[in-house]
Amino acid sequence: MQKSKKVVILGHFGVGKTSLIRRFVSNQFSDQYKVTIGVHISKKVVDLSDEDSVSLILWDLEGTDRLEQIREAYLLGTHGVIFVFDINRPSTFQNLKRDLETVKSKVQDRPTVVIGNKKDLVPEEEISSLLEEHDIPYDYLTSAKTGETVEEAFLHLASILHHDS
Amino acid sequence: MVTKMDEQAKLEILKDILFPDDRGAVQDIAKRITLVEHIINDQKQLAEKVDPLVDEKISAFTKRIPDTLGPTITATLKKEIKNHKDEVVDALYPVLGKMVKKYVAQEIKMLSEKIDNQLGFLKRFKRKMRSWFGGPTEEQQLMRELSSATIEQVLLIERDTGILKASYSVTNTIDEEMISGMLTAIKSFVEDAFHKKNQNLELIQYELYNIHLQSFVTHYVAVVISGDYHLTSKNKLQDIIFNFYYNFMAMNLDLVFHSKDKEKQGKEVRTIDKDLLIKELEASFGNAKI
Repeated sequence: MQKSKKVVILGHFGVGKTSLIRRFVSNQFSDQYKVTIGVHISKKVVDLSDEDSVSLILWDLEGTDRLEQIREAYLLGTHGVIFVFDINRPSTFQNLKRDLETVKSKVQDRPTVVIGNKKDLVPEEEISSLLEEHDIPYDYLTSAKTGETVEEAFLHLASILHHDS
Repeated sequence: MVTKMDEQAKLEILKDILFPDDRGAVQDIAKRITLVEHIINDQKQLAEKVDPLVDEKISAFTKRIPDTLGPTITATLKKEIKNHKDEVVDALYPVLGKMVKKYVAQEIKMLSEKIDNQLGFLKRFKRKMRSWFGGPTEEQQLMRELSSATIEQVLLIERDTGILKASYSVTNTIDEEMISGMLTAIKSFVEDAFHKKNQNLELIQYELYNIHLQSFVTHYVAVVISGDYHLTSKNKLQDIIFNFYYNFMAMNLDLVFHSKDKEKQGKEVRTIDKDLLIKELEASFGNAKI
Protein backbone atom coordinates (compact mmCIF):
# COMPACT_ATOMS: atom_id res chain seq x y z
CA MET A 1 0.00 0.00 0.00
CA GLN A 2 1.33 3.45 -0.92
CA LYS A 3 0.73 6.50 1.23
CA SER A 4 1.57 10.09 0.36
CA LYS A 5 3.25 12.27 2.98
CA LYS A 6 4.11 15.95 2.94
CA VAL A 7 7.63 16.67 4.17
CA VAL A 8 9.03 20.20 4.53
CA ILE A 9 12.76 20.87 4.46
CA LEU A 10 13.74 23.79 6.68
CA GLY A 11 16.94 25.55 7.66
CA HIS A 12 19.01 28.72 7.29
CA PHE A 13 20.24 30.11 3.94
CA GLY A 14 22.75 28.03 2.01
CA VAL A 15 22.88 24.99 4.32
CA GLY A 16 22.28 22.66 1.37
CA LYS A 17 18.56 21.85 1.58
CA THR A 18 18.05 21.84 -2.20
CA SER A 19 21.30 19.87 -2.73
CA LEU A 20 20.20 17.21 -0.24
CA ILE A 21 16.86 16.80 -2.02
CA ARG A 22 18.58 16.70 -5.40
CA ARG A 23 20.96 14.01 -4.16
CA PHE A 24 18.14 11.98 -2.64
CA VAL A 25 15.68 12.31 -5.53
CA SER A 26 17.91 12.16 -8.59
CA ASN A 27 21.34 11.30 -7.15
CA GLN A 28 22.90 14.47 -8.54
CA PHE A 29 24.99 17.31 -7.12
CA SER A 30 26.01 20.72 -8.39
CA ASP A 31 28.55 23.13 -6.89
CA GLN A 32 26.69 26.12 -8.29
CA TYR A 33 24.56 27.77 -5.63
CA LYS A 34 21.09 28.81 -6.73
CA VAL A 35 18.89 30.47 -4.17
CA THR A 36 15.48 28.87 -3.75
CA ILE A 37 12.73 31.44 -4.03
CA GLY A 38 9.40 30.55 -2.49
CA VAL A 39 9.12 26.79 -2.61
CA HIS A 40 10.09 23.95 -4.88
CA ILE A 41 8.24 20.64 -4.90
CA SER A 42 9.85 17.24 -5.56
CA LYS A 43 8.68 13.71 -5.09
CA LYS A 44 10.29 10.39 -4.32
CA VAL A 45 8.64 7.05 -3.72
CA VAL A 46 10.41 5.08 -0.99
CA ASP A 47 9.87 1.31 -0.85
CA LEU A 48 9.82 0.13 2.74
CA SER A 49 8.91 -3.48 2.03
CA ASP A 50 7.51 -5.60 -0.81
CA GLU A 51 4.03 -4.32 -0.06
CA ASP A 52 4.50 -0.94 1.60
CA SER A 53 5.84 2.26 0.15
CA VAL A 54 5.68 5.95 1.00
CA SER A 55 5.43 8.71 -1.56
CA LEU A 56 7.35 11.64 -0.08
CA ILE A 57 6.20 15.00 -1.41
CA LEU A 58 9.19 17.17 -0.53
CA TRP A 59 8.56 20.90 0.00
CA ASP A 60 11.92 22.63 -0.33
CA LEU A 61 11.27 25.96 1.38
CA GLU A 62 13.48 28.98 0.81
CA GLY A 63 16.13 29.38 3.49
CA THR A 64 15.66 31.92 6.24
CA ASP A 65 17.68 33.11 9.22
CA ARG A 66 14.48 33.97 11.03
CA LEU A 67 12.45 30.79 11.26
CA GLU A 68 9.53 32.51 12.94
CA GLN A 69 8.97 34.35 9.65
CA ILE A 70 8.39 31.21 7.58
CA ARG A 71 5.18 31.49 5.56
CA GLU A 72 2.84 29.38 7.65
CA ALA A 73 0.63 28.53 4.65
CA TYR A 74 3.48 26.31 3.40
CA LEU A 75 3.55 24.36 6.66
CA LEU A 76 -0.16 23.50 6.80
CA GLY A 77 -0.82 19.79 7.04
CA THR A 78 2.86 18.87 7.19
CA HIS A 79 3.45 15.24 8.12
CA GLY A 80 7.19 15.44 8.77
CA VAL A 81 10.11 17.87 8.86
CA ILE A 82 13.77 17.69 7.88
CA PHE A 83 15.77 20.45 9.55
CA VAL A 84 19.16 21.10 8.01
CA PHE A 85 22.17 22.99 9.39
CA ASP A 86 25.67 23.51 7.98
CA ILE A 87 28.42 21.90 10.09
CA ASN A 88 30.87 24.32 8.53
CA ARG A 89 28.92 27.44 9.58
CA PRO A 90 28.28 27.75 13.35
CA SER A 91 25.76 30.58 12.81
CA THR A 92 23.39 27.96 11.33
CA PHE A 93 23.40 25.76 14.45
CA GLN A 94 24.32 28.07 17.36
CA ASN A 95 20.64 28.53 18.20
CA LEU A 96 19.55 25.11 17.00
CA LYS A 97 17.55 24.23 20.10
CA ARG A 98 15.59 27.49 19.90
CA ASP A 99 15.12 27.02 16.14
CA LEU A 100 13.78 23.52 16.67
CA GLU A 101 11.36 24.79 19.31
CA THR A 102 10.09 27.38 16.79
CA VAL A 103 9.65 24.71 14.13
CA LYS A 104 7.97 22.38 16.61
CA SER A 105 5.41 25.02 17.54
CA LYS A 106 4.65 25.70 13.88
CA VAL A 107 4.15 22.09 12.79
CA GLN A 108 2.32 20.76 15.86
CA ASP A 109 5.08 18.44 17.03
CA ARG A 110 5.37 16.48 13.80
CA PRO A 111 8.28 14.02 13.50
CA THR A 112 11.49 15.91 12.78
CA VAL A 113 14.86 14.65 11.57
CA VAL A 114 17.80 16.99 12.22
CA ILE A 115 20.63 16.86 9.67
CA GLY A 116 24.10 18.42 9.88
CA ASN A 117 25.15 18.81 6.23
CA LYS A 118 28.48 19.50 4.43
CA LYS A 119 30.31 16.86 6.42
CA ASP A 120 32.90 16.68 3.64
CA LEU A 121 34.11 20.21 4.43
CA VAL A 122 35.10 19.61 8.07
CA PRO A 123 37.73 17.12 9.30
CA GLU A 124 36.20 14.17 11.17
CA GLU A 125 37.96 14.90 14.50
CA GLU A 126 36.83 18.53 14.49
CA ILE A 127 33.16 17.63 13.89
CA SER A 128 32.62 15.76 17.16
CA SER A 129 34.31 18.40 19.31
CA LEU A 130 32.42 21.17 17.51
CA LEU A 131 29.05 19.52 18.01
CA GLU A 132 29.80 18.54 21.61
CA GLU A 133 30.94 22.05 22.39
CA HIS A 134 27.62 23.48 21.21
CA ASP A 135 25.57 20.54 22.54
CA ILE A 136 23.85 19.99 19.19
CA PRO A 137 20.93 17.49 19.09
CA TYR A 138 21.42 16.09 15.58
CA ASP A 139 20.19 12.82 14.02
CA TYR A 140 22.41 12.49 10.94
CA LEU A 141 25.62 14.07 9.58
CA THR A 142 25.48 14.10 5.80
CA SER A 143 27.23 15.28 2.69
CA ALA A 144 25.04 16.14 -0.28
CA LYS A 145 28.28 16.34 -2.30
CA THR A 146 29.44 12.77 -1.67
CA GLY A 147 25.98 11.40 -0.89
CA GLU A 148 27.10 10.09 2.50
CA THR A 149 24.18 9.20 4.83
CA VAL A 150 21.71 11.25 2.75
CA GLU A 151 19.50 8.33 1.84
CA GLU A 152 19.56 6.97 5.41
CA ALA A 153 18.25 10.26 6.82
CA PHE A 154 15.32 10.45 4.39
CA LEU A 155 14.52 6.75 4.76
CA HIS A 156 14.49 7.13 8.53
CA LEU A 157 11.83 9.84 8.30
CA ALA A 158 9.86 7.87 5.69
CA SER A 159 9.79 4.90 8.03
CA ILE A 160 8.60 7.03 10.98
CA LEU A 161 5.86 8.57 8.84
CA HIS A 162 4.74 5.19 7.58
CA HIS A 163 4.38 3.80 11.08
CA ASP A 164 2.86 7.05 12.31
CA SER A 165 -0.11 6.83 9.94
CA MET B 1 -76.41 -34.69 60.60
CA VAL B 2 -79.88 -33.16 60.63
CA THR B 3 -78.66 -30.56 63.07
CA LYS B 4 -75.70 -29.66 60.86
CA MET B 5 -77.99 -29.14 57.78
CA ASP B 6 -80.27 -27.03 59.85
CA GLU B 7 -77.40 -24.89 60.96
CA GLN B 8 -76.24 -24.47 57.38
CA ALA B 9 -79.74 -23.54 56.21
CA LYS B 10 -80.05 -21.12 59.06
CA LEU B 11 -76.78 -19.50 58.15
CA GLU B 12 -77.92 -19.08 54.55
CA ILE B 13 -81.19 -17.53 55.69
CA LEU B 14 -79.27 -15.19 58.00
CA LYS B 15 -76.88 -14.29 55.15
CA ASP B 16 -79.86 -13.52 52.88
CA ILE B 17 -81.32 -11.26 55.54
CA LEU B 18 -78.02 -9.45 56.27
CA PHE B 19 -76.55 -9.20 52.71
CA PRO B 20 -79.51 -9.24 50.31
CA ASP B 21 -77.56 -7.92 47.26
CA ASP B 22 -74.31 -9.91 47.72
CA ARG B 23 -75.05 -12.57 45.12
CA GLY B 24 -76.26 -10.09 42.54
CA ALA B 25 -73.09 -7.99 43.06
CA VAL B 26 -70.81 -11.01 42.56
CA GLN B 27 -72.63 -11.87 39.37
CA ASP B 28 -72.31 -8.26 38.19
CA ILE B 29 -68.54 -8.25 38.90
CA ALA B 30 -68.10 -11.53 37.03
CA LYS B 31 -69.96 -10.09 34.03
CA ARG B 32 -67.80 -6.95 34.01
CA ILE B 33 -64.58 -9.00 34.23
CA THR B 34 -65.72 -11.05 31.23
CA LEU B 35 -66.44 -7.82 29.33
CA VAL B 36 -63.02 -6.31 30.19
CA GLU B 37 -61.31 -9.58 29.17
CA HIS B 38 -63.17 -9.46 25.89
CA ILE B 39 -62.13 -5.84 25.24
CA ILE B 40 -58.48 -6.56 26.06
CA ASN B 41 -58.37 -9.62 23.83
CA ASP B 42 -60.09 -7.90 20.94
CA GLN B 43 -57.46 -5.52 19.51
CA LYS B 44 -59.96 -3.37 17.67
CA GLN B 45 -62.09 -2.80 20.73
CA LEU B 46 -58.99 -2.12 22.85
CA ALA B 47 -57.71 0.35 20.29
CA GLU B 48 -61.03 2.22 20.37
CA LYS B 49 -60.63 2.67 24.11
CA VAL B 50 -56.84 3.26 24.32
CA ASP B 51 -56.02 5.21 21.14
CA PRO B 52 -57.73 8.45 22.17
CA LEU B 53 -55.76 8.35 25.44
CA VAL B 54 -52.43 7.71 23.67
CA ASP B 55 -53.20 10.42 21.11
CA GLU B 56 -53.95 12.84 23.88
CA LYS B 57 -50.68 11.97 25.65
CA ILE B 58 -48.62 12.28 22.43
CA SER B 59 -50.25 15.59 21.61
CA ALA B 60 -49.47 16.91 25.10
CA PHE B 61 -45.88 15.58 24.84
CA THR B 62 -45.37 17.17 21.41
CA LYS B 63 -46.57 20.50 22.75
CA ARG B 64 -44.12 20.22 25.63
CA ILE B 65 -41.07 19.30 23.40
CA PRO B 66 -39.86 22.89 22.95
CA ASP B 67 -39.83 23.33 26.74
CA THR B 68 -38.61 19.91 27.82
CA LEU B 69 -36.31 18.59 25.06
CA GLY B 70 -35.69 21.88 23.20
CA PRO B 71 -32.70 23.06 25.27
CA THR B 72 -31.11 19.58 25.15
CA ILE B 73 -31.52 19.32 21.35
CA THR B 74 -30.18 22.85 20.80
CA ALA B 75 -27.21 22.22 23.08
CA THR B 76 -26.42 18.91 21.33
CA LEU B 77 -26.68 20.47 17.88
CA LYS B 78 -24.50 23.42 18.90
CA LYS B 79 -21.91 21.04 20.33
CA GLU B 80 -21.93 18.83 17.20
CA ILE B 81 -21.66 21.83 14.86
CA LYS B 82 -18.86 23.32 16.98
CA ASN B 83 -16.92 20.05 17.04
CA HIS B 84 -17.40 19.29 13.35
CA LYS B 85 -17.41 22.79 11.88
CA ASP B 86 -15.39 21.86 8.81
CA GLU B 87 -17.61 18.93 7.94
CA VAL B 88 -20.79 21.01 8.29
CA VAL B 89 -19.42 23.85 6.17
CA ASP B 90 -18.12 21.38 3.60
CA ALA B 91 -21.57 19.80 3.35
CA LEU B 92 -23.34 23.13 3.01
CA TYR B 93 -20.81 24.87 0.77
CA PRO B 94 -21.85 23.23 -2.52
CA VAL B 95 -25.55 23.85 -1.79
CA LEU B 96 -25.05 27.52 -0.92
CA GLY B 97 -22.53 27.93 -3.71
CA LYS B 98 -25.02 26.58 -6.23
CA MET B 99 -27.78 28.87 -5.02
CA VAL B 100 -25.66 32.02 -5.10
CA LYS B 101 -24.03 31.09 -8.40
CA LYS B 102 -27.36 30.33 -10.10
CA TYR B 103 -28.77 33.67 -9.03
CA VAL B 104 -25.70 35.60 -10.18
CA ALA B 105 -25.49 33.57 -13.42
CA GLN B 106 -29.13 34.27 -14.20
CA GLU B 107 -28.64 38.00 -13.75
CA ILE B 108 -25.48 37.99 -15.86
CA LYS B 109 -27.18 35.92 -18.56
CA MET B 110 -29.96 38.45 -18.84
CA LEU B 111 -27.47 41.29 -19.02
CA SER B 112 -25.38 39.40 -21.56
CA GLU B 113 -28.42 38.72 -23.76
CA LYS B 114 -29.32 42.40 -23.72
CA ILE B 115 -25.77 43.34 -24.75
CA ASP B 116 -25.75 40.62 -27.44
CA ASN B 117 -28.94 41.99 -28.92
CA GLN B 118 -27.37 45.40 -29.05
CA LEU B 119 -24.06 44.16 -30.51
CA GLY B 120 -25.25 41.35 -32.85
CA PHE B 121 -25.20 43.50 -35.93
CA LEU B 122 -21.86 45.05 -34.98
CA LYS B 123 -20.27 41.58 -34.55
CA ARG B 124 -21.43 40.36 -37.95
CA PHE B 125 -20.09 43.53 -39.55
CA LYS B 126 -16.74 43.10 -37.72
CA ARG B 127 -16.39 39.49 -38.99
CA LYS B 128 -17.10 40.55 -42.56
CA MET B 129 -14.59 43.40 -42.35
CA ARG B 130 -11.87 41.09 -40.99
CA SER B 131 -12.38 38.51 -43.75
CA TRP B 132 -12.37 41.25 -46.43
CA PHE B 133 -9.04 42.53 -45.20
CA GLY B 134 -7.17 39.22 -45.38
CA GLY B 135 -8.19 37.74 -42.03
CA PRO B 136 -9.73 34.27 -41.58
CA THR B 137 -12.96 33.60 -43.43
CA GLU B 138 -16.25 34.34 -41.77
CA GLU B 139 -16.90 30.59 -41.30
CA GLN B 140 -13.50 30.11 -39.65
CA GLN B 141 -14.16 33.00 -37.34
CA LEU B 142 -17.56 31.58 -36.45
CA MET B 143 -16.04 28.15 -35.79
CA ARG B 144 -13.42 29.71 -33.55
CA GLU B 145 -16.06 31.61 -31.63
CA LEU B 146 -18.11 28.48 -31.19
CA SER B 147 -15.24 26.14 -30.27
CA SER B 148 -15.94 25.13 -26.70
CA ALA B 149 -13.58 24.54 -23.84
CA THR B 150 -12.48 20.97 -23.13
CA ILE B 151 -11.65 19.40 -19.79
CA GLU B 152 -8.15 17.91 -20.00
CA GLN B 153 -7.47 16.96 -16.43
CA VAL B 154 -9.18 17.01 -13.03
CA LEU B 155 -7.35 16.80 -9.72
CA LEU B 156 -8.95 16.39 -6.31
CA ILE B 157 -6.42 17.77 -3.84
CA GLU B 158 -6.24 17.98 -0.06
CA ARG B 159 -6.18 21.69 0.65
CA ASP B 160 -3.54 21.95 3.41
CA THR B 161 -1.09 19.24 2.44
CA GLY B 162 -1.43 19.49 -1.32
CA ILE B 163 -1.65 15.72 -1.46
CA LEU B 164 -3.47 14.34 -4.48
CA LYS B 165 -6.52 12.26 -3.51
CA ALA B 166 -7.66 11.31 -7.00
CA SER B 167 -7.37 12.44 -10.57
CA TYR B 168 -8.90 12.05 -14.00
CA SER B 169 -6.92 12.83 -17.13
CA VAL B 170 -7.62 12.64 -20.86
CA THR B 171 -3.93 12.53 -21.80
CA ASN B 172 -0.82 11.52 -19.89
CA THR B 173 0.93 14.39 -18.15
CA ILE B 174 3.92 14.80 -15.86
CA ASP B 175 3.66 13.57 -12.29
CA GLU B 176 0.26 14.61 -10.98
CA GLU B 177 1.37 14.43 -7.35
CA MET B 178 4.01 17.06 -8.04
CA ILE B 179 1.53 19.22 -9.96
CA SER B 180 -0.83 19.03 -6.98
CA GLY B 181 1.94 20.06 -4.60
CA MET B 182 3.02 22.94 -6.80
CA LEU B 183 -0.55 24.17 -7.36
CA THR B 184 -1.09 24.11 -3.60
CA ALA B 185 2.15 26.02 -3.03
CA ILE B 186 1.15 28.68 -5.60
CA LYS B 187 -2.35 28.86 -4.13
CA SER B 188 -1.00 29.13 -0.56
CA PHE B 189 1.49 31.80 -1.59
CA VAL B 190 -1.07 33.99 -3.38
CA GLU B 191 -3.71 33.64 -0.68
CA ASP B 192 -1.16 34.34 2.05
CA ALA B 193 0.64 37.17 0.27
CA PHE B 194 -2.40 39.38 -0.16
CA HIS B 195 -3.54 38.87 3.43
CA LYS B 196 -7.14 38.57 2.33
CA LYS B 197 -8.99 36.13 4.49
CA ASN B 198 -11.54 33.82 2.86
CA GLN B 199 -10.36 34.72 -0.64
CA ASN B 200 -9.23 31.93 -2.93
CA LEU B 201 -7.07 31.79 -6.02
CA GLU B 202 -9.57 30.79 -8.70
CA LEU B 203 -7.77 30.75 -12.03
CA ILE B 204 -4.28 30.22 -13.42
CA GLN B 205 -3.85 30.99 -17.11
CA TYR B 206 -1.04 30.03 -19.45
CA GLU B 207 -1.27 30.40 -23.21
CA LEU B 208 -3.69 27.73 -24.42
CA TYR B 209 -4.63 26.37 -21.02
CA ASN B 210 -6.58 27.55 -18.02
CA ILE B 211 -6.55 25.92 -14.59
CA HIS B 212 -9.75 26.49 -12.68
CA LEU B 213 -9.42 26.04 -8.92
CA GLN B 214 -12.58 25.47 -6.87
CA SER B 215 -11.89 25.56 -3.16
CA PHE B 216 -13.90 23.83 -0.47
CA VAL B 217 -13.00 23.56 3.22
CA THR B 218 -10.76 20.53 3.32
CA HIS B 219 -10.21 19.85 -0.37
CA TYR B 220 -10.10 21.73 -3.65
CA VAL B 221 -10.69 20.68 -7.23
CA ALA B 222 -8.29 21.78 -9.98
CA VAL B 223 -9.50 21.45 -13.57
CA VAL B 224 -7.17 21.94 -16.52
CA ILE B 225 -9.08 23.29 -19.53
CA SER B 226 -8.03 23.81 -23.13
CA GLY B 227 -9.84 25.94 -25.70
CA ASP B 228 -11.96 29.01 -25.20
CA TYR B 229 -12.74 29.32 -21.53
CA HIS B 230 -15.41 31.95 -20.98
CA LEU B 231 -17.97 32.79 -18.38
CA THR B 232 -20.46 30.29 -19.82
CA SER B 233 -17.87 27.49 -19.65
CA LYS B 234 -16.98 28.54 -16.11
CA ASN B 235 -20.63 28.39 -15.09
CA LYS B 236 -21.07 24.91 -16.53
CA LEU B 237 -17.82 23.72 -14.98
CA GLN B 238 -18.75 25.06 -11.56
CA ASP B 239 -22.09 23.24 -11.78
CA ILE B 240 -20.28 19.98 -12.51
CA ILE B 241 -17.81 20.54 -9.66
CA PHE B 242 -20.54 21.48 -7.18
CA ASN B 243 -22.60 18.45 -8.23
CA PHE B 244 -19.62 16.13 -7.86
CA TYR B 245 -18.74 17.56 -4.46
CA TYR B 246 -22.33 17.59 -3.21
CA ASN B 247 -23.27 14.14 -4.49
CA PHE B 248 -20.08 12.40 -3.60
CA MET B 249 -17.79 14.23 -1.24
CA ALA B 250 -20.32 16.05 0.97
CA MET B 251 -22.61 13.05 1.15
CA ASN B 252 -19.77 10.78 2.21
CA LEU B 253 -18.34 12.97 4.93
CA ASP B 254 -17.84 10.16 7.40
CA LEU B 255 -15.78 8.32 4.82
CA VAL B 256 -13.71 11.25 3.65
CA PHE B 257 -13.01 12.87 6.98
CA HIS B 258 -11.85 11.16 10.07
CA SER B 259 -10.62 12.66 13.27
CA LYS B 260 -7.19 11.91 14.60
CA ASP B 261 -8.83 11.18 17.96
CA LYS B 262 -10.58 8.18 16.48
CA GLU B 263 -7.29 6.91 15.13
CA LYS B 264 -5.65 7.33 18.52
CA GLN B 265 -8.52 5.53 20.20
CA GLY B 266 -7.79 2.60 17.92
CA LYS B 267 -11.20 2.76 16.29
CA GLU B 268 -11.54 1.61 12.73
CA VAL B 269 -11.13 4.58 10.42
CA ARG B 270 -12.99 4.47 7.12
CA THR B 271 -11.74 6.46 4.18
CA ILE B 272 -12.87 6.60 0.61
CA ASP B 273 -11.19 4.14 -1.66
CA LYS B 274 -8.98 5.90 -4.23
CA ASP B 275 -10.27 3.80 -7.13
CA LEU B 276 -13.83 4.73 -6.26
CA LEU B 277 -12.89 8.42 -6.20
CA ILE B 278 -11.24 8.10 -9.61
CA LYS B 279 -14.34 6.38 -11.04
CA GLU B 280 -16.54 9.10 -9.62
CA LEU B 281 -14.32 11.83 -11.12
CA GLU B 282 -14.43 10.12 -14.50
CA ALA B 283 -18.21 9.75 -14.32
CA SER B 284 -18.68 13.40 -13.41
CA PHE B 285 -16.12 15.02 -15.70
CA GLY B 286 -15.43 12.40 -18.40
CA ASN B 287 -18.06 13.33 -20.96
CA ALA B 288 -18.93 16.71 -19.58
CA LYS B 289 -19.46 19.49 -22.11
CA ILE B 290 -18.53 22.95 -20.95
